[in-house]
Amino acid sequence: MGTFLHILKYKFIAFLKSTFEPRFATAVRGLGSLLVFGGFAVVAYLFSLGLTKFVLDQTRIGLFLYHRFISMLLFVFFMSVNLGNIIVSYATLYKSSEVGYLFTKPIPYRQIFTLKFLDNFLYSSTTLFLVALMVLLGYGTYFGHPWYLLLGVMVFVLVPFMFLSASIAVLVLMSVVKVASKWGFRKVMGGLAVVYLGIVVLFFRFSNPVKQVQEVNANLGNVDAYFKEIGSGFLSYLPNNWVSDVLFYMARGETSLALLTAGQLLVVTLAVFMVVLFVADRFYFRSWLATFEFQSGSNTVESGKRIKLFDFRKNSFLSPQTESLLKKEYFQFFREASQWIHLAVMVVLVGVFALSVRNLNPTLRVTEIQTLTYLILYAFGGFLSCSLALRFVFPTISLEGQAFWSQLSAPVDRRKVYMVKFVIGFLLVLLLALLVAIFSNEPFVRLSERRPLLMYFGIFSAFWVSITLVALNLGLGGYFANHQEKNPIRVASSQGATLTFLVSLVYLFILVSVVLVPLSQYFQSLFLFFPFDMRGIVVPGTLVGMLSAALTGFALVVGLRSLDRDF
Amino acid sequence: MIKLRNVTKKFGSLTAVDDITLTVPKGEFFGFLGPNGAGKTTTIKMMAGLFTPTSGTIAIDGHDVIKNPMDAKGCTSYVPDQPFLYDKLTGREFLYFVGGLYRMEKKAVAQKIEELVEHFEIGDWVDKRTEDYSQGMKQRVTIAASLVHEPKVLIIDEPMIGLDPRSAKIVRETLRKKASEGVSIFMSTHSLPIAEELCDRIGFIKDGRLVFVGTQNELQTYKQKFDGKFESVFLELTK
Repeated sequence: MGTFLHILKYKFIAFLKSTFEPRFATAVRGLGSLLVFGGFAVVAYLFSLGLTKFVLDQTRIGLFLYHRFISMLLFVFFMSVNLGNIIVSYATLYKSSEVGYLFTKPIPYRQIFTLKFLDNFLYSSTTLFLVALMVLLGYGTYFGHPWYLLLGVMVFVLVPFMFLSASIAVLVLMSVVKVASKWGFRKVMGGLAVVYLGIVVLFFRFSNPVKQVQEVNANLGNVDAYFKEIGSGFLSYLPNNWVSDVLFYMARGETSLALLTAGQLLVVTLAVFMVVLFVADRFYFRSWLATFEFQSGSNTVESGKRIKLFDFRKNSFLSPQTESLLKKEYFQFFREASQWIHLAVMVVLVGVFALSVRNLNPTLRVTEIQTLTYLILYAFGGFLSCSLALRFVFPTISLEGQAFWSQLSAPVDRRKVYMVKFVIGFLLVLLLALLVAIFSNEPFVRLSERRPLLMYFGIFSAFWVSITLVALNLGLGGYFANHQEKNPIRVASSQGATLTFLVSLVYLFILVSVVLVPLSQYFQSLFLFFPFDMRGIVVPGTLVGMLSAALTGFALVVGLRSLDRDF
Repeated sequence: MIKLRNVTKKFGSLTAVDDITLTVPKGEFFGFLGPNGAGKTTTIKMMAGLFTPTSGTIAIDGHDVIKNPMDAKGCTSYVPDQPFLYDKLTGREFLYFVGGLYRMEKKAVAQKIEELVEHFEIGDWVDKRTEDYSQGMKQRVTIAASLVHEPKVLIIDEPMIGLDPRSAKIVRETLRKKASEGVSIFMSTHSLPIAEELCDRIGFIKDGRLVFVGTQNELQTYKQKFDGKFESVFLELTK
């Protein structure tokens, strides 16, 4: 225990020194983060409070149904944290050079594991804690809960909930590593993806939201009662249900039941963590060694001699410099499991979203509802692009690592290096943004009897949003570059990345605000059968274009200048 | 070939390189020595275009490194003190990558790679990813990469780190041969025997200032003032 605390102490000192480093860039990051986090916190709080008020006072679905929906959202949250932790933990627990160093010291494997597990959990969850806390505060304010009670819920319910998800993720990861050393990494990851998809499908089959609305409506006289029998029995044993039950009981003033359920969650979280420590004690070091085996299995001389798809030995119509830069990016990306797996997951999620939204059937000819629906889809599509750009574009310059000397000392124009990265990121984000834009606009094109204006607007927006977000992420990714960090996920969850993400969200918020009124006017003209003044879409479209171009230009300058810094 | 004129580099209040003026003509093997933190790597990085001088000019083959970086870098090769490579590329891919950055034709790169792989005895390792390389293997690949495009100027920071005696011998012989072919070599090293064996002229840097520049003969004369050992000269000049 003494050794563990000793290491923690020095990690904390290193963290403080790097966070409060007296450098201009660090100060900018810190101040910017403070402002943006503060603003975002306020927005999250107001949004949560507003949504709770709207759902319970306006739509009046009742406490039970509202908390069932919260339970579903928490399930998605749980799975996201779980999947995210599997991917991130692989890098932290198995690829970190710190782990290799610690294994050479007389430190119990369990302690090394705990150290890195906590490191990973805290590092990747800080923003989530803030978001969860503000959403919880907004929700709790509606019910008049005091702030210290909500803080207690955060610390003793939500944090253990996330901790449980992370613990299960690590258990899954260690199992995957054990199996992968025999069957191969890609096969096992493919199998795991199928299992997770199956879990999500099964969950939504057994807790079908439409069916739950119907069943609750059948008991309309008592919408706030706890309908234990609605939904399959086993679902009530899922941790997301426990969290929503705690909130439900608190809303009804049933403190003892809330405490009991919270206690249940804490006990299970502790028990699972004990199991994780037990498994780690016996297996972590062996699994760490196993990762070398399946790494070297794919790194044979024979596989090196095969002529691959984008092999350097193949001729190309591109200039030698551009070809070299592109191929280097390709191999560096697709040979790093945490990159291509995460990309595959995000592409699947985007695909699922695009296909589901395509089948939306907006029949209600009510301006406010259709405007709100459109804007939610518009904003969500932008949010997906934000996430993609943050995860895959922001880290690009950092991931050049210390090997960047080979490009910076060569006769390569740094603008070319930058533009290659920009084009790759832009094409990726644009492709997925267009997919979402086209599929999410289709129902509205149907609603407007095949008038394509919204489709054109969607495509126009997708272009500008993609170019701006990629420019922002690449530019600020260069400004906040950390060439010492090899883990792309840690780069994408750094303070600079969080600041960039929040700036991106502010940009999206401005876009939504700009298009709100003209969109509402468009739907109004559609439903009330009067002609729509095209200036209503040209003016905001021009504003969107100008704002996006200005931000893109600014970000490009910042990014290019970052490459001129001493390396 | 290499001209440094009143080159200074400051990092905040710290002057890492202080008003260095130096010329390395064509075909000369210049050794750059100094204690840890003297400013060797900083000087080298300015020449390679990784650092911008605070003041002064650096010209490589007549091209100003700041005003005409592309031309200056086009005839230069840089070997860093730590051989960081792209870990997901094989050694062969890294050599192709570097060849492409210097705008070489594919066939020429392929031929050169085969020669260098054989010369530096890299063998089958060239087709494995560099993440599995030892320090010595990475160093060999890095030095090989510096020779792919036949540079006129070679800027090397501590080339012998991590090399076994056999590899070190190959590198020494290669560098000597390059110098005899007219390549200007600017090498920093901590190894006094290497410097004595290879260098035509030697410079000592201390606290960012050049405290001695001289040929081997001038150095021999200077050595006689002490016990005839190079080490004593080094210690005296850098105390």
